[in-house]
Amino acid sequence: MKIQKLRSKLAITLSLVLTAGLVATGLPAAHADTVGLKPTAAQLTAWKGKEITYYFYNDSQAELDTTKAQIADFEKLTGAKVKLDVIPYTSLDTQLQARLAAGNVPDVARLNNPGLYIKDSLDLEQYFSRKYAAEFIKGSTLQVTDPTTKKLIGVPYDLSMNGPIINVDQFKKAGVAVPTSWNWAELIAAAKKVRTANGTEYAFAMDKSGHRFSTVMSQFGAFMVDKNQKNVLPTSRFRAEKSLKMITDLYKADLAPRDLWIGTGTKYASPIAVFIGQQVPVFFSGNFNLATLVKDAKFNFQVVPNPKELNGGGWPGGKFLVAFKASKTPDLAAYFLHYLADAAQMDQMDKNCFWLPTRNDVVAAGVTYPSRQLDMSVYLADTAKTPAAAFGIQSVPTLTGLIYNKLRDLMTEVMAGKITAKQAIQTQIEWIDTQLATLRK
Amino acid sequence: MPYLFVAPNMFIFITFIIWPAIRGFQISFFDSIDGRTFTPVGAGNYRTIFADPTVASVAKNTATYVIFYVLISTFLATALALVVNEQKFAKGFFRAIIFLPVMLSPIVVGLIWNDVLDRKVGPLNSLLQALGGGSPGWLVEPKLGMIAVIFVGVWVHIGFYSIILLAGLQGIDRSLLEAASMDGATRAQIIRTIILPLLKPTTLVIIILSTIHGFQSFDFIYTLTGGGPLGATTLIVQYIYDSAFQTPIQYGLGSAAGVVLFMIIFAFTALNFLVGKKREAI
Repeated sequence: MKIQKLRSKLAITLSLVLTAGLVATGLPAAHADTVGLKPTAAQLTAWKGKEITYYFYNDSQAELDTTKAQIADFEKLTGAKVKLDVIPYTSLDTQLQARLAAGNVPDVARLNNPGLYIKDSLDLEQYFSRKYAAEFIKGSTLQVTDPTTKKLIGVPYDLSMNGPIINVDQFKKAGVAVPTSWNWAELIAAAKKVRTANGTEYAFAMDKSGHRFSTVMSQFGAFMVDKNQKNVLPTSRFRAEKSLKMITDLYKADLAPRDLWIGTGTKYASPIAVFIGQQVPVFFSGNFNLATLVKDAKFNFQVVPNPKELNGGGWPGGKFLVAFKASKTPDLAAYFLHYLADAAQMDQMDKNCFWLPTRNDVVAAGVTYPSRQLDMSVYLADTAKTPAAAFGIQSVPTLTGLIYNKLRDLMTEVMAGKITAKQAIQTQIEWIDTQLATLRK
Repeated sequence: MPYLFVAPNMFIFITFIIWPAIRGFQISFFDSIDGRTFTPVGAGNYRTIFADPTVASVAKNTATYVIFYVLISTFLATALALVVNEQKFAKGFFRAIIFLPVMLSPIVVGLIWNDVLDRKVGPLNSLLQALGGGSPGWLVEPKLGMIAVIFVGVWVHIGFYSIILLAGLQGIDRSLLEAASMDGATRAQIIRTIILPLLKPTTLVIIILSTIHGFQSFDFIYTLTGGGPLGATTLIVQYIYDSAFQTPIQYGLGSAAGVVLFMIIFAFTALNFLVGKKREAI
């Protein structure tokens, strides 16, 4: 009972923290208008026996299991069938682009790069009115807003937050206190000390991702694109160089898994197996890995706050739900999307999979996670600390993924000693300029 | 009646090979970022290919890979076939062992060798360290990356080539070999002056096949190195794949690169064939 009370108090506190953070970043208050929307009798008649395809990828087994359960409920509710196509993350865009070109279009998709599909996506406002967008945290809808028509073409499904996860057992063995606040110099010093004490292969590991590294750049006060679609990297180039050199030096010195980063070409790679294998005490990733860690980690781990330099907090990201214009039953596809992103389903998904909510009402009510509540509170607190400038890159949804990938590839070149951090940032500046110029044509 | 028998195969061949090839050639003159809207660009995609510095690096990688792959594969497959042909004991077992890698999925091959060649915990480097060697970064250093993919490429296909050569060896009239032996020829002389010349037509087939396989190599390399380190093992098929299917999508450019690859393979195959024919005539 006491634990339950503590949990609800914590949930309320977290909601307040997050709301305060949203106010601080200029985000609006909640407007829930379509919550619990039920299909009409005419819709139920029209949808009976119809089948739609849900193009889906999952970071953890919990995401797949919860999705299957929600689909079963949806089928009972509507009489329609949902075919679940589970796609590996690494070929998510490749397969979808090919399917779109071949005319084999899914009805609804879970994506992390929705900007690529703006022209193919269904305008959701024709089904749920303009107010629907206001049900979600405003900052999180930028990537699913058509930059030309300003219409909502998808919804943010979960907010992801980057940050360090540590192996508590190894920290304890090394006599290093679990940090409650730190900067990058302290993080690296602690990681090295823990590595030496435990004899681990590495001290630090980060997902091979430009998105993850953008968090570090943001903490040092460096950003790439602002909300007006302007290249702002030149104004913070020295900070960007400093952060890039700091991270790539760890890889060059074999304190981080260089082989995993360099040896996988242009593919995404995660060192989560290295962390689960207890060969690295500090893993810089995101909340989307928590469900897997809860299931597979045979040691005590903990999410700790992001290091603070000029800024604290993380970096905005997440996954999105999009329905496609080419759907044979667009109204059913739109309703399925709405169903998945509705308050009850989102709350369930957030709880089961350690997701962060994107709906204002779910944020306001607070999510009570079955475990790891303190870890989630760290992510929520970091969400509130994320600087508003970090959302700027979402003003160019068609380029966001490309910008991250280019940054990742330049980091690879620095790690291999082919170019310097200074050259990498200069190349990134010129490349962003070219891309933005092409976008404006 | 004979046309009826070949009809099912021709239908599949035309539907899945000829028609897509024609469409690919057609698309190479267009720009398309979604596969649905096509803007004519004339020879623009071909100009991009020949002006792109990435293509120069990809061409160099492909040439290096194909040359070494063909030479090593042909040499080792011939040696292996000669050894297996002489075996008296457990012939079938050894042939099956040699052929085993051919039956593995290329994806599995890439994953297995990715583990074996791991710099820090891979069995190969553990062995090298035990023997007093270092820990080469097979998948991290660009030059070693190329050596690794050539080695794995040869390992995968050598069984296939050996079996073909073995069939060629068994087709050689044994009375010729026995006569040479009775005349006092050594084993090396018999191989050099009788077996290898008589094996030329089969060797030509191996050279043509390995050249084609070399140019087409992609799947196991993509799993093994992803084209890295630093693009050192990105060959032309990966360039086609990346252009056509990775963001930013450029179907026209990918198709144009596919046409260029076809021309190269066609030219090499024709050259090999003509040279082989000419030598046979001599």
